[in-house]
Amino acid sequence: MKAKWQIVMLSAVLAVILSAPVMGADTIKLGGLYNLTGGMSSIDAPALNGAKLQAKLINEAGGVLGKNLEVIGIDTKTDQKAAATGAKKALAMGVVAGLGYGDTTFVMAAAPLFQKKGVPFVTSGATHPMLPKWVGDYMFMVPFGDDDQSFAIAEYTVNKLGAKKVAVWTDNSMDFTKALSKFYKQRITELGGTIVLEDFFMMGDKDFSAQIARLKNADPAPEAVFVSAIPNEAGLTVKQIREAGLTLPIVSGDGFDTELVTTVPGDKLANDVYFSTHTYREDNRPEVLAFVKAYEKEYNRPPENAFAALGFDAVGLIADAIKRANSTDGKALRDALAATKGFKAVTGEISYTRPSGVPMKGVSIISVKNGKYKVEEVWYPKN
Amino acid sequence: MKRIPLHQIWYFVFVLSGAVFVFIARSTFNEYILSIINFVGIYIILAVSLNITNGFTGLFSLGHPGFMAIGGYMTSVLTFPVAKKAMFLELPGWLSHLALPFLPALLIGGVCASLTAFVIGVPVLRLRGHYLAVATLGFLIIVQVLITNWESVTRGPLGMNGLPALTHLWWVYAWVVITLYVSWKIKFSSYGRSMLAIREDPLAAQCVGTRLFRTRVVSLALGAFFAGIAGGLWAHLVTAITPASFSLVLAFHIVVMVVVGGSGSISGAFVAAVLFSTITELFRPLEESLDAYGIGEILMALILILILIYRPTGIFGTREPGFLTAKST
Repeated sequence: MKAKWQIVMLSAVLAVILSAPVMGADTIKLGGLYNLTGGMSSIDAPALNGAKLQAKLINEAGGVLGKNLEVIGIDTKTDQKAAATGAKKALAMGVVAGLGYGDTTFVMAAAPLFQKKGVPFVTSGATHPMLPKWVGDYMFMVPFGDDDQSFAIAEYTVNKLGAKKVAVWTDNSMDFTKALSKFYKQRITELGGTIVLEDFFMMGDKDFSAQIARLKNADPAPEAVFVSAIPNEAGLTVKQIREAGLTLPIVSGDGFDTELVTTVPGDKLANDVYFSTHTYREDNRPEVLAFVKAYEKEYNRPPENAFAALGFDAVGLIADAIKRANSTDGKALRDALAATKGFKAVTGEISYTRPSGVPMKGVSIISVKNGKYKVEEVWYPKN
Repeated sequence: MKRIPLHQIWYFVFVLSGAVFVFIARSTFNEYILSIINFVGIYIILAVSLNITNGFTGLFSLGHPGFMAIGGYMTSVLTFPVAKKAMFLELPGWLSHLALPFLPALLIGGVCASLTAFVIGVPVLRLRGHYLAVATLGFLIIVQVLITNWESVTRGPLGMNGLPALTHLWWVYAWVVITLYVSWKIKFSSYGRSMLAIREDPLAAQCVGTRLFRTRVVSLALGAFFAGIAGGLWAHLVTAITPASFSLVLAFHIVVMVVVGGSGSISGAFVAAVLFSTITELFRPLEESLDAYGIGEILMALILILILIYRPTGIFGTREPGFLTAKST
C-alpha cells in the first residue's frame, strides 16, 4: 500500500516540476497541432517533423525579425476533443499562428477557435475546398483543394488517356474519398464523358472480387477506372484488378501517393496507374532536392510522404508572411498571408488569388509503369 | 431544536466550495485550463451516470457514448443558428426555423437519449452479463452508422461544426451537482437498495418483491438521460461534433472510471473521473519537451493495472467515505 502511494506522489511531483515551462526568452511561437498518436499519426507525425525542420533551418539562417522561430508540437491524439483543447492551449501560450492537420475533421475542431481570437491558422494537409469558407478569413490552406486534384486527373483521363467511358469506385466511409469522386464525376461529365459504372467499398475492405466482377461485366465496357481510396486500399485494389486480368488504366488522387501502389502488387502488376498529387514526388526542382537532403540529414531517413513537405511549407509560408508584415500581430499577419503571391514552396508555388481562399497550385499527374513512378505533366487550375 | 446531521453539513461545504472554485477559476485561469476543467466535469457526469446503470444495477453497458451522441446531436441541431442551418443542413421545415436556448435544448437532448434507452432497453435488458455488453455495443455501432449516413441532418462523417460555444463552467458545475444529487438520493433510497440487490443476486431480489425488469430499464434510462446531457455540454464545448468522437474507445474510458472508482461508489466514480481526465494533460509538458508523445497514455494504463492488482474492487469498493453518510446506516 505504502509503495503505491509513493509512486503516485512521485509521479505527481514529477508532473508539477515538468509543467514549469522551459521557454527561451525571445522566440516567435507557432502552435503545431497534429495527431501524433492514434489513427492519423502516419500522416501527421511526418508533417510536424517537416514543420520543425523548417523552423530549424530558418533559425540557422538568422531567424525572423531577429528572433528564433519555435514550433510547439501539440499531440491531439486523433481525437476532436483533444484538438479543441490543444487549440486553446496553443492560444493560451500566445502563439502568433497555428498550423496543422492532414484531415478536415480536425481542422474544423481547432481552426474556428483561432479565427475567433484573430490568430491565423494554416492547415498543412487538409484538402476540403470549402474549408476557408467554413472557418473564415483567418484560415489558410497549403495544399490544393480536392476539386483541383479531381479535375486534373479527370482532364488527364479524357484528354490524354482517351477514356470517355469510366467506372468510379468510391470508399464510402470517408468524407475525403466521397468528395474526390464527386468532383471527378462532375468534370468527366462536363468533358462529355460518361460514368458507366459506380461501385463502393469501405475502408478496411480486403476483398474486391465483387466489384471486379461487376467491372468486368459492365456494359458498355469502361475504358478506365477511378479508384477513390486512401493508401491502405490503393495497393490492394491495383493488385486485385490486375490479377483478375483487367488491363484498363487505373486512375486516382493523392490517396495513391504511396509506395504501397508498387510494393503490394509488385512491379509487374503495378502498371498503367495514374494519379494526381502534390507536386513533390519524383520532382527535381531545387526546393524539393534541398528539402529531401535536409530531412535526411535531420532524421536519418527520407521524408515519409508528401505531408512532411507540406508541414515544411506551412512554416515557410508563415515565416514569409511575418517577414513581409514586419510584425507578428494577428491582423497584419493575416493580411500578409492573404497577399501571398508566388511563394516558392516545396510542394509548388502558392498564391492566394482566388476568392475561395484555396491556393492556386500545380497538381502533378504521376504515372506508374512497371513499378516506376514518373511525372507525366503538371496541371494548373484556370481560375 | 433539531440538529443538522454532520454529513449534511459536509454536503453543504462541498457544494459551496465547488461554487467558490468555479468563481475563482473563471476569473483567473486561461481558456485552456478552463476547458480541461470543463472536460473533467463532463467526465464526472458521464462516470457518475454510468455508475447508476453499471455500478448500482450491474448492467454492463458499453452504450453510454451512443446515448451521449443522441443527446449531443439533438442539442446541436436545436441550438444551431437558423442562418447556418440553411447553409449546412437539409432539415424538415419546422426544424429549420427553430433555434432554442441552451437549457431547453439540453433537456430535450437528455430526454431523447432517455427515451431511446427505454426503447432499446425493453428487448436488450432481457440479456445478462456478456450478452448484454455485446448488445449494447451493437447499439453503439447502430447509432454511429446512423449518424454517419444521415447526412441531411448530421452532415455525415464531417460532423457539425461552428456550434455556438454555450458551455461554460457554471453549466457544467450545475449539471455535476444535479447528477451527484440524483445519484446520491437514489443510492440511499429503497429504490437504490433494490438496484444494488439486483446486482448482487437477481433471484433473491425478485423473491423479496423487487420488480426486476422495470428497475433495470429505469436505471438504464436514468443513466442515458445524464449521458445525453453530457453529450450536449460536450458538443457546445468543443463547438464541433462528429460521429467518430462517440467511439468504443470513449465507452471503455468511462467504464474504466467506474471500475477503478469502485462499482457502485459515487465518490469513486467522481475521483476516478478527475484522475483519468487530468493525468494525460498533466504529462503534456513532459511529452512536448521530450518529443515523446504518448507517455500520458502509457502511465494511465500503468496506474490502471496497479489499481486493479492492489485494489481489484476499485478505490472505494461499493461504499462512500464514512463522513459523508448518515450515522444510522
